[in-house]
Amino acid sequence: MTGPVARMLEEKRVVVCCGAGGVGKTTVSASLAIAAARAGRRVLVVTIDPSKRLAETLGVERNPPEPVPLPAERLAAAGIVEGTLAAWMLDPKLVSDRVVENFARSPEDARRLLDNRMYRNITAMIAGLQEYTAVEALHGFVMEDVYDLVILDTPPSRDALRFLDAPDRVAMFLDRRIFNLFVPGEGSAIRRMATRLIEKVMDVAFGEQTRRDLQQFFDLFGGVLDHLNHNQHEMRAFFKQPDIGFLLVTSPAREALAEAGFFARKTRDELKMHLCGYVLNRSLAAQAGYAMPDPAALPDDADPALRSGLSTLAGLARVEQQKVAEHLALAADLETRAGDGFAWVLPMLGGGAGDLADLVHLADVLVAERPPGHPDSEETP
Amino acid sequence: MHFLDRRVLLISGKGGVGRTTVTVALARAAARAGKRTLVCEIANPEGGPSAIGRLLGLDGVGPEPVAVGPRLDACHLWARTGHARFLQSVLPGKALVRAALRSRAVDKFLTAAPSFHEMGLFYHLLTLLRAERDGRRRHELIVLDMPATGHTLALTGLPEILLRLMPTGPIAAALREGQAVLNDPDQGAAWVVTLPEQLPVTEAIELLAGLSETEMPAGGVLLNRMPPDPFTPAERAALDGWIEGRQVFGEVAFRRIEAAAEARARLEDRVEVPVLTLPELGDEPVPGLVGALANYMAVDGGGR
Repeated sequence: MTGPVARMLEEKRVVVCCGAGGVGKTTVSASLAIAAARAGRRVLVVTIDPSKRLAETLGVERNPPEPVPLPAERLAAAGIVEGTLAAWMLDPKLVSDRVVENFARSPEDARRLLDNRMYRNITAMIAGLQEYTAVEALHGFVMEDVYDLVILDTPPSRDALRFLDAPDRVAMFLDRRIFNLFVPGEGSAIRRMATRLIEKVMDVAFGEQTRRDLQQFFDLFGGVLDHLNHNQHEMRAFFKQPDIGFLLVTSPAREALAEAGFFARKTRDELKMHLCGYVLNRSLAAQAGYAMPDPAALPDDADPALRSGLSTLAGLARVEQQKVAEHLALAADLETRAGDGFAWVLPMLGGGAGDLADLVHLADVLVAERPPGHPDSEETP
Repeated sequence: MHFLDRRVLLISGKGGVGRTTVTVALARAAARAGKRTLVCEIANPEGGPSAIGRLLGLDGVGPEPVAVGPRLDACHLWARTGHARFLQSVLPGKALVRAALRSRAVDKFLTAAPSFHEMGLFYHLLTLLRAERDGRRRHELIVLDMPATGHTLALTGLPEILLRLMPTGPIAAALREGQAVLNDPDQGAAWVVTLPEQLPVTEAIELLAGLSETEMPAGGVLLNRMPPDPFTPAERAALDGWIEGRQVFGEVAFRRIEAAAEARARLEDRVEVPVLTLPELGDEPVPGLVGALANYMAVDGGGR
C-alpha cells in the first residue's frame, strides 16, 4: 500500500464517510474496510440503514446487538490474512435503550422509562438522537480499543449534517431549561407560570393523558440527559482529533458534487475537522484510453447483427467518450479542491457493486499508488 | 380510477433517484390535465435551499401556497405553522392563544419535544386539505415530496403513531380527520420513486413491503431514468460476446441497458402495484417527464 488512501487507512483511527444519498457511500465504506483489513488492521465498519445486499455480501445479519465478525471463509475470499473485519448495522433504538439502561438514575427509572409510551414510540423521532447514538457508539468502539480502525458510513445528505452537528442539535432537545419547564413544582415564579401555561395548552390541545405521559418521560429522561450533556463536550473534542478523518464521497452528478462541496466547507472550514479527501464514485475516468467500437474494422463475413449492433453502439460510445473527458476534468478539479488531501476515482461497475469480488476490486483500486485515469498513472489501458 | 384522481399523493424514495424532480413533474402534469394542484415539500427545520423552489424557479418557498403556473401552487410544510393553526383552533379565548403563541417556552417545547414536530407538519397538511376558495376546494390534488431518509415509513405511519401517543383531546380528532383522507384508497396514495438498478429496486421492494404494514395505501412505483434500448435481440446477443474483454467506449452504457431491463423485470415481478416507467432525460428533465406522465394519463383513462 503506497497511495494516499492507503496511508489514510494506516494512520487514522476513525474514517467518517459523508456524502449525498445514492452516491454509493456504503459500498465505498465497505471497500475501504476490506482494504484496511487486507493490510493487516483490525477493522470495524459501522453502517446505518444499509442495503440488504451489502449486509448479505459481508455475511452479517441486520441490526444485530453487537458487531459481527466476518465469517472465516469470507475473510479468506476477500484476501484478508492478518487483519480482521467486523460489520455492524447500527440500530438506533438498541443504542438508545442501552444508553438509558446505563445512565438512568436507577434501574427502576430505566425500566419505567423503557416502558413509557412516549419513549417506546418516538425514540426514532427525537431530532438528532439517532445521529447522536451513532456518535456514542463510535466513541465507545474507539475507547474499547478492540479495533485499530473504525469506518463510519453516515446517513445520507441532510441527515449527515445532523450527524456532524449532533451534539448541538441534540442539545436543543436536551436543553435542561425545557425539561424543567415541563417538570412541575420547581423554580422561580416566572418558570412556574411558564409551566402552568404549557400544562394548560397541553391539556386542552393534546389531552391530559398525553401531558402526563410526557411529564413522566421528561422526568425520567433527566438522568440520561445529564450524561448526554456531559458527553457532548467530549464528543466535540473527539471529532477534532487528527486521527479522525473525514472522507467526502460523491458521484459525478451535479447535486452530489454540490453536496460534497457543502460538506467540505462544513467539516474543514466551519467545524475544523480533518478532511482527508474526495472519492469520485461511479466515474468513467478509468476508461480513459479506451477505443471506439468500429464496425468498419469487422471482417467482410462478420455477423450482420454484430455489424448493425456496432453501428448503434458507436453512437452510445461517442456519448460515453464525452463523459469520460468530463469525469477526468472533474477528477482534476476535485484534486485542486482537495488541497493537501486526495481526490480518488472509482469505476462504475456494470450492475452496481454488490458481491464480495466487486468490493475487493474497489479496495484494490483505492489503495493503488494513483487513481485510475490519472495523468501521472503509469499504466494506461 | 385514474392514478392522479386522489386528494393527496405522497412521493417517497431514497436520495439520488430524482424524487423531487418526479414530484414536480407529476404536479405539473396534473395541473396541465386541469386539476388545481399544490406541490409541497417538507421544510428543512434548519433552513437551507429548497429543492422544489430551485426546480420551479422560486427564490423562496414559504408555508403559504404561491402560484407557480396555471392551476399550480407550491408551498412548504412548516411544523411551526401547523402548531400555530392548531393552537388557534383549539385554545379557548384569544388571550390564551396569544399567550401561547407568544410564549418562547411553548414554542421551544413544541419544536423540541418528541413527535410534536411531526404533529405540526401533519396539522399543516390537514389545513391545506381543508382549504377552500370561492366556495370550492382550493386544491383538488396535493403532491407531497417526502424526505429522503428512512423516515418515510415513520411519516406515512405517523397518524397511527401519534394517535397511540395522543389518544384524546382535539388533536386526536384532527389526526383522525387527516387519517381518513390519507388512508382512504380513493383519496390518498404513496408512490415510490426508484431507478432501474439492482440496489434501488431492492430498496423499493422493501419500502413497499413496509408500506403494506401501515394503513397508507400504496399507489405504485415510478421507475425513473430508464435508459432507452436501441438494440434488437440479435444485435444484443452478437454484441454481448464481442464486447467481452474488449476495452471500448460504450461498454458501460451497453451493460447498463441490460442491467436496467433486468432490474425492471424483477421489480414488476415482485410488486403488486403498477410500475410506471419514466425515460432517462438530460439535464432539464422536467418537461420530458411531464410529457411521459401525460401519456400514462391518456392511456389510463385520460385523467378526468
